[in-house]
Amino acid sequence: MADNTQSTIVGPSILINGNLQGDEDLTVLGRVEGTLSLTKTLNVAESGIVKADISVRNAIISGIVVGNITATDSVEITEAGRMVGDIRAPRVIIVDGARFRGAVDMGDLDAARASGPMPARTVDRSSIVRTTPMAASRPIPSRQSPPRPPPPRVVQSKPAPTSIPVSAPATQKSAAVPAKPMVPIAAKKKIKKKVVVKKKD
Amino acid sequence: MANTVIGSSIVIDGEITGDEDLVVQGTVKGKIQLKESLYVESSGVVEADIETQNTEVSGQVTGNITATDKVELKSECRMVGDIKAPRILIADGASFKGNVDMDV
Repeated sequence: MADNTQSTIVGPSILINGNLQGDEDLTVLGRVEGTLSLTKTLNVAESGIVKADISVRNAIISGIVVGNITATDSVEITEAGRMVGDIRAPRVIIVDGARFRGAVDMGDLDAARASGPMPARTVDRSSIVRTTPMAASRPIPSRQSPPRPPPPRVVQSKPAPTSIPVSAPATQKSAAVPAKPMVPIAAKKKIKKKVVVKKKD
Repeated sequence: MANTVIGSSIVIDGEITGDEDLVVQGTVKGKIQLKESLYVESSGVVEADIETQNTEVSGQVTGNITATDKVELKSECRMVGDIKAPRILIADGASFKGNVDMDV
């Protein structure tokens, strides 16, 4: 019990249902449902599941999050992370392999850029812009608006950093152009069915 | 070591359930249901009904404790509520108000 007094861990078999608030880091290996507000960092580990409205300073998501996140500093979805919900934070990092559906609001982009340096995150940012065609086209209303389903393109287009010129400004054109028609899902289903029918012995 | 720890600045209002040990250094209100042990440390405040296997109280507990094995009230603790468990230990210096049921 030396220095770990300032960090809270929710173990893998624990379920917390209700309000959770605090002024220290929180690591979730289990489940948290309800509302969650921290003045420090929320860390959702790979085994962690959070179904909550979240307000924190930083959030690092390697597990599953369902709900809206408001962060005063940053939200990062790692390659193992899955999230459904809206993100409102000045810095949003979505890495290759992460799965996310929802809206992103980085606030007043010009003001954010002027106030704080954005350290070497250009690669990530370019990939983020692609995931938020909706946010770019119209201002995001307050969070009580029903979460309208974003275009499926968001989920389907996996970020492929190599194809994006880092230095080039992320054009909205490239985001708007649908890469592929979205037939494959239906086609896959049919194939699956056929496979099932084939199986006989 | 993936123990669950509710740190000293954390306030939880709701329900905690689980199959592992839980250490409370902060505040929990509502209900705690565990298949293992609950440790309420000296900075911990629990206002909840508690169902565990073992409960060890060094901090403050307000609420009823039902344990399948043991409840231990340490010397510096404050406990208000009923305790039901086959083994109950109350150390010298512990403050306690409530009923004890050892199922005799």
